[in-house]
Amino acid sequence: MNDKPKTGLFAYPTAAIFCLTSIFWMMIATFLGLLGATLLIAPDLTEGIGWLTFGRVRPAHVNLVLFGFVTPGLLAAAFYYIPKLLRTDLFSEKLGILSAGVWNLMLVAAMVTLLAGQTQAREYAELIWSVDMMVILSFILVIINFVLTVKHRKEPILFVSVWYAGAAVVLTATTFALGNVVWRPDSGALTGIPDAILLWFYGHNIFGLLLTPLSIGVAYYVVPKVCKAPLYSHTLSLVGFWSLIVVYTHIGTHHLLQVPVPTWLKVISIVDSVAMVIPVSVFLINIWYTAKSKLGEIHADIGGKFVFTGTIMYFFVSIQGSIMALPQVQRVTHFNNWVVGHAHIGVLGFSGMITLGGLYYILPRITGRPIYSRLLADFQYWLVLIGVTGFAIVLTVVGLIQGNSWLNGETVHRIIPQIHLYYVIRAALGLMIFTGAVIGMYNFVRTLFYNPEETS
Amino acid sequence: MMKMTPKAIFIGSLIILAAVVFVVVYMPWSTMDDTPSEIFRSRSKIEAQGRKLYKANGCVYCHSQSIRTIDWGLGAHRIAQSGDYVEDRPILLGSARTGPDLSQQGGEHPDDWHMAHFFNPRFTSPYSIMPTFSFLGMDNITLLTHYIQSLGLKEADVRMERQRYWKQKAIEAYESGPEENIKWLHNHVPQPWRELPNPYPTSEAGLARGHKVYQDFCAGCHSPIGDGMGPAQPWIYPPPFNFTILKDREISGGILYYQIMNGITGTAMPYFKKHLESEKIWEVGNFVAVYFINQSDANTEPRGIDASWEP
Ligand code: HEC
Ligand code: HEC
Ligand code: HEM
Repeated sequence: MNDKPKTGLFAYPTAAIFCLTSIFWMMIATFLGLLGATLLIAPDLTEGIGWLTFGRVRPAHVNLVLFGFVTPGLLAAAFYYIPKLLRTDLFSEKLGILSAGVWNLMLVAAMVTLLAGQTQAREYAELIWSVDMMVILSFILVIINFVLTVKHRKEPILFVSVWYAGAAVVLTATTFALGNVVWRPDSGALTGIPDAILLWFYGHNIFGLLLTPLSIGVAYYVVPKVCKAPLYSHTLSLVGFWSLIVVYTHIGTHHLLQVPVPTWLKVISIVDSVAMVIPVSVFLINIWYTAKSKLGEIHADIGGKFVFTGTIMYFFVSIQGSIMALPQVQRVTHFNNWVVGHAHIGVLGFSGMITLGGLYYILPRITGRPIYSRLLADFQYWLVLIGVTGFAIVLTVVGLIQGNSWLNGETVHRIIPQIHLYYVIRAALGLMIFTGAVIGMYNFVRTLFYNPEETS
Repeated sequence: MMKMTPKAIFIGSLIILAAVVFVVVYMPWSTMDDTPSEIFRSRSKIEAQGRKLYKANGCVYCHSQSIRTIDWGLGAHRIAQSGDYVEDRPILLGSARTGPDLSQQGGEHPDDWHMAHFFNPRFTSPYSIMPTFSFLGMDNITLLTHYIQSLGLKEADVRMERQRYWKQKAIEAYESGPEENIKWLHNHVPQPWRELPNPYPTSEAGLARGHKVYQDFCAGCHSPIGDGMGPAQPWIYPPPFNFTILKDREISGGILYYQIMNGITGTAMPYFKKHLESEKIWEVGNFVAVYFINQSDANTEPRGIDASWEP
């Protein structure tokens, strides 16, 4: 590999800016999450302030987690590993900086519009048309840079991480435009039940075609690097990639199993939600066999540690997801906090952990300086890990209480006082995660700008 | 072994995506029946404006509009059909029930209940975790209420008709003085209920249960001391009932039970038959009788054979 020692803050400006983007918006997004959790135990806290009412804070939280924290963080890693793997430079750092700039403008616009109540009220597709356009533009700028880097590569063979990163941005730009119904700027929606079908086709692909492949791409890069071992199997990579694209894309209707949509569509979504075990296990076998008997190396690298933990969360969230797609299970789990628990294992436990892992892995390599504090990084790791595991437990318990009580004929009203305590614990765990984000921000800024151990 | 060239990756995955979109999005879209259901009607302009506020303030994150087959156990009367949604753009099914489903909310409560509730949900429902919407201002709250009262479409219209009819009657009764009002209220309780004493004895545990239920479900309107001056009072007309005036006015356990179970349509007094089991209704009624009316007929004749658990 071409390892001409290219370091220093300005050697990888695009990756560095995306890195800072991610860690900064992680702080904002988790703060909004914490605020939302607090409002569920103290609903009058923001009384009279429309900007901070729960129904606006929640979509701002979700959108900024997805598009502010996770996606830019995973892209930061891709901006580092794609040129490395292709033994070339990024096609254009200038274009990269521009894309990061547009991206951040888009995030500010997203936050302001959502908190101001400018929304299309479709989950994961809330952003109004003008902000949708900024999202698409951001993706297009990234795609151009990736594609032209690939075109100018010196390494003929594309490593699996490159497949995933490339497919993720191209497919997401497409499904994003489709799912947001951009040809109807006003409503950004279809009409009636087909709107729900399209929405969940798209919503599910935010996890399936954006978060998952970008995260997997990072894992495929970081784990072999940290273990200093070749990837276990090329065939498994191939099977995993194509089965992910085929299966993940068409099971979104499992979000609508209790809604009057055509039965054949539900059957497809249920059967193939179970079939998701194929891409999932293929990836995990590949990664875990690569890491076999190398856990010491993984543990020693803070980036590797985050990423590896993310792969374990991927295991849990996917098994859980396949089970949740069964109609008998959904009788209990649908419409309640069980699903919120699943969402956090997926987005924070799996994608978020891998995002942080990718960032910690590239940070010393793009700056040429060690991480400011490994201790703080470990502290952040445990805060986030305990936070998300706690979420999984508490929200699953609340979900079971809600779901079973409803089936038992107790109304939503009756259960509200009963789950208060769990909401308190949940907010406390949220505080841990937010603290983790702040510590991460501090650690990154120190590493980048005020690192006393400067080596250059 | 397949060669993963950039072309193979981009074109291959885009072709797969296109095929998937064709099957799971385009096919249902183009084949689904979009005949309106029997309850369907278009929304009025005002209702549509209210719906905008519903979207803008994220009601959809806490409320579903999607009654499922398995909700029958919760007392739902009609499960959702695709024909209910034929003009919804976007459709607002929701994905969580932090609050109750609102598909058939229209006419469940009269407008004054909604005004109080939007201003601060804890006024009407002290246990509520719904946000306050006072920041929207009176005009917007009115629009929002119009929308909520249309949920359920034609079925909601029937209920709203009933609410308006009885609202007028209730106001007339209230304005003709406490004596007349009580007579009016009790005349609508079927005779056998009026003569029925609370069949269960007063007990400490029962009063404690009644107290808890009262605090959770009643105190916002009837106030912690039962005089009807709870925080919701300024919004509600006829105002919440003052229990203390019921003494020596032929009140019975049966009347209290019936009113709590059935609510008083037209007034803000909700029905509690879905929220509270029979035992809890007897007990909150007896709590009101013992503490606020100062007169309880609990366990007096005729009371039938004592239940096995009675002391
Ligand atoms: C944080 C979640 C949350 C949000 C956001 C929210 N609600 Fe609620 N809502 C609840 C809860 C919990 C209840 C049940 C307790 C109560 O009556 O307040 C409820 C009850 C209701 C009821 C009464 C239902 C019944 O069965 O009596 C209506 C109507 C309602 N909400 C409308 C709205 C509207 C309109 C909005 C948006 C402007 C909204 N809600 C936003 C949580 C929420
Ligand atoms: C949203 C406000 C509200 C809530 C909550 C409420 N009430 Fe009422 N209640 C009223 C109003 C309004 C009336 C009728 C006043 C009138 O017509 O004069 C009423 C009437 C009554 C009556 C009829 C008295 C009679 O002699 O006929 C009883 C009994 C009663 N409420 C009990 C309760 C109990 C018990 C609860 C809690 C489980 C409760 N209410 C909750 C507003 C409320
Ligand atoms: C095999 C893989 C998976 C399957 C089969 C699956 C299945 C499901 C199902 C059935 C639901 C809907 C639950 C309901 O509404 O009742 C759901 C919701 C969700 N899933 Fe997954 N899941 C999988 C993996 C993931 C991953 C990897 C992520 C994140 C990266 C994720 C994120 C989410 C989120 C955020 C929701 C909540 C959607 C909402 O807002 O309602 N899932 N999943």
